[in-house]
Amino acid sequence: MELDFSVLWKFTDALALGLWTTARLTLLCIVLGTAIGFLVGLARTSESRLLRVATATYVEFFRGTPVLIQLFWIFFCLPLILGVELSNFASGAIALTLYMGAITSETFRSSLRAVGREQMDACVALGLPRRVQVANVILPQAVLRAAPTLLSNCISLFKESALVSAVGMADLMFIGQNISNNTARPVEVLTAVALIYFVIAFPLTRAVTLIERRMLKKLAA
Amino acid sequence: MDYSLDIGAVTRNLGPLFEGLLVTVELTVAANLIGIVAGFGVALLVLARNPVLRLPAMLFVEFFRCTPAIVQVVWFFYCVPMLFNVFLDPITMGVLALGLNLTAFNAEAYRANIQAVPGEHRDAGIALGLSPAQRVLHIILPQALRASVPVLLTNGIGTFQQSALVAIVGVQDLMYQGKLLATETYRPIETFTVVALFYLAISFPVSQFVGWMERRRGIAAR
Amino acid sequence: MNANAEGQALVRIADLHKSYGPAIKVLRGLDIEMKPGERVVVIGPSGGGKSTLLRVVMGLEEIQGGSVSFAGRPYISVQGGKTQIDTEVRKKIGMVFQHYTLFPHLSVMQNLTLAPCKVNGESRAKATERGRAILARFGLEAKTDAYPSQLSGGQKQRVAIARALMLDPQLMLFDEVTSALDPELVAEVEAVILQLAAQGMPMMMVTHDMWFARNVASRVIFCAGGVVVEDGPPEQVLGNPREDRTREFIERVFHIKG
Repeated sequence: MELDFSVLWKFTDALALGLWTTARLTLLCIVLGTAIGFLVGLARTSESRLLRVATATYVEFFRGTPVLIQLFWIFFCLPLILGVELSNFASGAIALTLYMGAITSETFRSSLRAVGREQMDACVALGLPRRVQVANVILPQAVLRAAPTLLSNCISLFKESALVSAVGMADLMFIGQNISNNTARPVEVLTAVALIYFVIAFPLTRAVTLIERRMLKKLAA
Repeated sequence: MDYSLDIGAVTRNLGPLFEGLLVTVELTVAANLIGIVAGFGVALLVLARNPVLRLPAMLFVEFFRCTPAIVQVVWFFYCVPMLFNVFLDPITMGVLALGLNLTAFNAEAYRANIQAVPGEHRDAGIALGLSPAQRVLHIILPQALRASVPVLLTNGIGTFQQSALVAIVGVQDLMYQGKLLATETYRPIETFTVVALFYLAISFPVSQFVGWMERRRGIAAR
Repeated sequence: MNANAEGQALVRIADLHKSYGPAIKVLRGLDIEMKPGERVVVIGPSGGGKSTLLRVVMGLEEIQGGSVSFAGRPYISVQGGKTQIDTEVRKKIGMVFQHYTLFPHLSVMQNLTLAPCKVNGESRAKATERGRAILARFGLEAKTDAYPSQLSGGQKQRVAIARALMLDPQLMLFDEVTSALDPELVAEVEAVILQLAAQGMPMMMVTHDMWFARNVASRVIFCAGGVVVEDGPPEQVLGNPREDRTREFIERVFHIKG
């Protein structure tokens, strides 16, 4: 078959619009999801058993099921339960925020645990009160340690966001599929869509590697 | 809410859901077979000194890791028949799409673990007079493969979850049957919840097992 | 008891019992009395409870029995099976660990000023000024703004000592502070400890370096099996021990016997 990538030039505006929707959705869910993830990560180390069980259930549920079904559940079921209409964007944002919260909470939890026993000994030997131990020693190290994995989580979310096309939200993937169907040029259009995702995600994964190396070196002291 | 739960709508229709689950499990197992074997081959290519072998393998891995799985699946279903003029049944297509995706992720796991074998072990192998092939076979690989098992399992269960994507291109897996049932019965809450629990019932034990394995390794490494 | 009385013990450890679980008894009724100005070096076979002893004195460990007093004030005791620690007294004691335990996300100066500012409410400017003086004394003025990962092991350990000194401790504990160092870096850390010793800083230390022990100690305690086996001046314990177990240990360490 003949490939003709020039067909794409007519649709640059539409693709840009789709990318803009993808970007907005991803950024919003990164901010909200990371905040939830941080709180849930803390709650999972809490003294309260109820809090631990509740947050563990949330995390395991969202990590143990396909994101697609989470999305469908929020999209089809939440409006029935709440009795209000939800826009496509709102459903997508809720589902992806909850997903992001679950995966980042694991990141925060393991980085909190990685702050070693010896650091705690040093805190005691210096007479630091609990509040200072948490605020000045544990949290800053946990956040530094979490940084590369958090960036990976953001990349995952960016990729998973393409699922919202399945519930009709006009993101990059949805618009790409529409163009592909209308022009009957799936190879050109879908390849272009894949390349757009790649061009954004690839440099970020390189950045993760670099940051990881620097953090590990710094925290190795 | 003006919606009364009727779990019977789902329990009366478990048959199709189980059929879907069977397809999902088939897809997962077949994709994992591809991923575990081909992933190792690709990892060796990525580590090759010869750039003619290395660069295409790296590109393959990075491309699959840096694009959404749904884009890969849709691309595969639409473009492979057009480009190569081959027409396979949807399940085979699904297996190939998921298998290639998993191959890329597993290759990365193998590569990382091969490179994580300490240089001292290679030195010790040289000091003991082992040939390069013997060093790879008897020192590097056994350690790297064992270290890779938890990640391979995690990736494998990830593919189990990702396999829901093939419902979008019409493969009649668990997700597909669930969506069909939800539409036919107008019972989305019950149906999607049960379908989600199906997925969870398989993912959760595996992820717990991986966690247990990693904790045990952590203790052994101390 | 009067804390200022002549001959008053600085640290009094009485009948100390410490175990990890029911099976592993590390300290079995240990008694030590340390006078002001003394520099006590604790030696002994590994697993003999030396490091645990220091960690108990710092208040890092739960104990099962006995008590520890500082300048006449009991600050570690067991009540109803729980270890009670008076943190006000504990603040007078500083400790340096084998693995530096600097805070990797803070610069050298921030490591020094964290505790004075947060615990004692000292102003940042004043703490920084004191920190500079201590760093200068230890030959580290060029490293003020460096991060721990940019320092050598010897430099890290000197910073760790400086950090502990920022709280004006009345007793310093050194737990195998040169064991993790490359041999050529040991001397610079030992020099700093000798400098403190010359200024009369009371200290209790665990070390495997018998030559250093002899140089710095005013008193050597040989600990084995969780009790004090021998206790005396360095010339005696290291040079001419009275107890057979001490002699065996010393001979093995100094390779006197094949």
